[in-house]
Amino acid sequence: MEQNIVKKEIEYPYLTRPVEIYERACGHKIVLAHKEGGLVNISSWVKTGSINENDENNGISHFLEHLMFKGTHKHKAGYFDKTLESKGAIVNAATWKDYTFYYVTLPQGPDGAYFKEAIELHADMMLDPVIPEDEIGPAFKLGDDNVSQKRERHVVIEEIRMRQDQPWTKIYNNTNKNMYTNHPYRRDVIGFPETIASISRETILNYYRTHYTPNNITTIIVGDFNHEKILEKVINEFDFKGRENFQNPKHELDLSTQEEKYYELNGKINTGFAITGWLGPVARDLKDNIGLEIINIIMGEGQSSRLYQNLIETVENPVFNVVTTDFYNFKDGGNFFIQANFKAEKKDEAISLIKKEFNNLLKDGITEQEFYKAKKKLKVRFAESAETVSDIAENIGYYMTVCDDLDLVEKYLEDLNSYALQDVNNVARKYLNFNNAVTTVLLPE
Amino acid sequence: MKKIILNNNIPLVIKQNKNTPRCALCFYFKIEKPENRAGLYSVLNRLFLQGTKNRSAKQLADELDENAIDCYSEMKYDFIRFKLQCLNEDLEKGIEILSDIIKNSTFDDFNKEVIKLKGEIPAEMDDPKSKAMDGFYKNIFKNHLYGHTYTKILEDINYVTKDDVINAYNNILDDSSKVISFVGDFEEKTVEELLNNYFADIKNASAKKCEIESPILEKTEIVKIQKDDASQAQIIQGWHVPTIFDKDYPAIMVMNTMLGSSGLSSRLFLELRDKKGLAYVVRSSYETYNKAALFNVYIATEPKNIKTSLEGFKIELDKIKNIPVTEQELENAKNNLIGKRQFFTETNLQQSSLMAFYEDKGLGADFEEKLIEKIMNVKTEDIMRVANLCIKEPFVLTVLAPKEYLNFD
Repeated sequence: MEQNIVKKEIEYPYLTRPVEIYERACGHKIVLAHKEGGLVNISSWVKTGSINENDENNGISHFLEHLMFKGTHKHKAGYFDKTLESKGAIVNAATWKDYTFYYVTLPQGPDGAYFKEAIELHADMMLDPVIPEDEIGPAFKLGDDNVSQKRERHVVIEEIRMRQDQPWTKIYNNTNKNMYTNHPYRRDVIGFPETIASISRETILNYYRTHYTPNNITTIIVGDFNHEKILEKVINEFDFKGRENFQNPKHELDLSTQEEKYYELNGKINTGFAITGWLGPVARDLKDNIGLEIINIIMGEGQSSRLYQNLIETVENPVFNVVTTDFYNFKDGGNFFIQANFKAEKKDEAISLIKKEFNNLLKDGITEQEFYKAKKKLKVRFAESAETVSDIAENIGYYMTVCDDLDLVEKYLEDLNSYALQDVNNVARKYLNFNNAVTTVLLPE
Repeated sequence: MKKIILNNNIPLVIKQNKNTPRCALCFYFKIEKPENRAGLYSVLNRLFLQGTKNRSAKQLADELDENAIDCYSEMKYDFIRFKLQCLNEDLEKGIEILSDIIKNSTFDDFNKEVIKLKGEIPAEMDDPKSKAMDGFYKNIFKNHLYGHTYTKILEDINYVTKDDVINAYNNILDDSSKVISFVGDFEEKTVEELLNNYFADIKNASAKKCEIESPILEKTEIVKIQKDDASQAQIIQGWHVPTIFDKDYPAIMVMNTMLGSSGLSSRLFLELRDKKGLAYVVRSSYETYNKAALFNVYIATEPKNIKTSLEGFKIELDKIKNIPVTEQELENAKNNLIGKRQFFTETNLQQSSLMAFYEDKGLGADFEEKLIEKIMNVKTEDIMRVANLCIKEPFVLTVLAPKEYLNFD
């Protein structure tokens, strides 16, 4: 067994054994979690996403994620997918602002044979991608119909097109962009077709070499297995061969706008769409994050929420078809959103009704009954997220990558139990003032 | 897994999973009559959470959320099903609320629910994929319950009355065959007692002749939907094929896996996405109802690629119809399909839902095990045979794109 490994255990709610975290001397972290059943999940989380991008390479983290599946020096493109899927595996990856992660969920197989092979192939893909030129496809000028070889560049451009057709994505992107002044979070993770059409293989490889370093990768294994043996297997397969580490730069946090911002877009649609967004606390500020999660449940989650009850359910002829809220956690500050779909001709009324609900929240606060409901829902969410190997892995991956550690999981329920109603009201007033909000509306042309 | 007949004659299929903090229950009511107007069953389904004789809609929503109980109903043409999921400690509370919803819904909010539905449909149609799918299902199941899509509902909903809804409810409650499934960390006796207690007055009707006919697709139809600002064309091509009750069900599932239902190594994914760069999403699917089943292929692509994509589909479909698959590819597809089924039956709710689904169809709650065995027995020659059986005229092809790209034929 490798020397100088630091082990830590975390009590994870609703799991029958503590989660083990191992930090190797090189900085690579390995997390092992026990979940009964025949399935295992293997994933590696890399601390890079649009947070490490600029205007020239925006979209590179996501494009690289696609290209990681295009073969290694040991195995040609397609081998990984075909081999694992023929064993019943779900294989995929995802890129977001703070991270990129790759995962395999599969049955362990006879004597754990599939499981071991999956670890080998996963590690091989993470450490030795070739990113061949012919899989990327030649660089081209957008709009040029004479491209001979349409390969992965075109696949990603089609993914961008798909998002361009989604009304919610259009207004999310505009709101997101205008909530920030300098922080890289203002960029859309998927980037622009122009960048994807022209970015070079060398630039992509350099980006890989810079960010896929031992200290930036956490490998998580969830399932029912012998921890000692699997730890040894992961260590052996993840041989970084002395790869140098990279410290992610710290970004200055953006301040919220001090004056309400409003944007109006048009499209060939029938109804009106709106998103209002605010900047929230950094991911490690557990207290304020819990407060905003509670407000999210009270204001806009489910049929008992205030927005649904006051703006749809109890109104004879509602202006709204949909009105909900959402809260995202990010390393350098989360976002709180209101999302609404409404009768387009009633735009002004829709906006003013939403504002009234939030002004009431800031003025009068929440009720005991609402507070109790939200706390119970947050507790049950832990039970929910402990039901499948994939959900457990995703939750651990989020904490390890965005919050830098799993310690907040242990603290979460304790902090939630000691939360006071007045704390929630204070958080609402701190973050959710309309003077600090950015709204984008999409209306029929 | 065990099957118990409750005092009210409703079969309960039950499985105990130790150490699981949340339990799940599904309650199926079979739909055996067509609806006279599109939207009748959808409105009925929506009204189940809109108030009972004992609780207003707000009280229901509050009580469910305060206890973090998931309880909702779904209308899937062949059945309406209720799903209940909660912490083990809240099971009795959950069953009590569910029984109140099933037995005491008032349907008083009929007008309000119709207004809400009429608002939601145009919003849904603002999504190009939903709009294209709507056009596809409406045409492939023309004049049939299964083709009662959002836009069809919008055409008919003003003719649906509250009395129609109440009649449909009474019919389903009194005259339909029913199934309950339960999965969680509970002894059978406890669950059986609870259900006998709360559902004593809901009787199971013996199976009758279903009045819903099988839909017929008489001729090939090309449906063009104009959306001038669409960045991508939405293309769906589909065929009527044998259902879950047919001996060829396992073979069609395997063919679907090979072609494009599963992951990154299917034929459509490799040929149309990886090699030709035509799409981010390209897939096939096989969905079965009681009276019909569909096999379809789908791609979302830049509008100028419509012709190339249709040719790409044709090449792949012709290949599977005319060139025998290798033993290796067959084995890979079978293992892929069987392995993934574990993934889709990981939670108590997923297991409960599948058990009730099979039991409701008369296949037995343990059909999954038999199905896996049948999948294992599929032969290479079965694939070519079912491909020729399924992929032939007539079909429906739906294409959504800007006007200038709709001249592809």
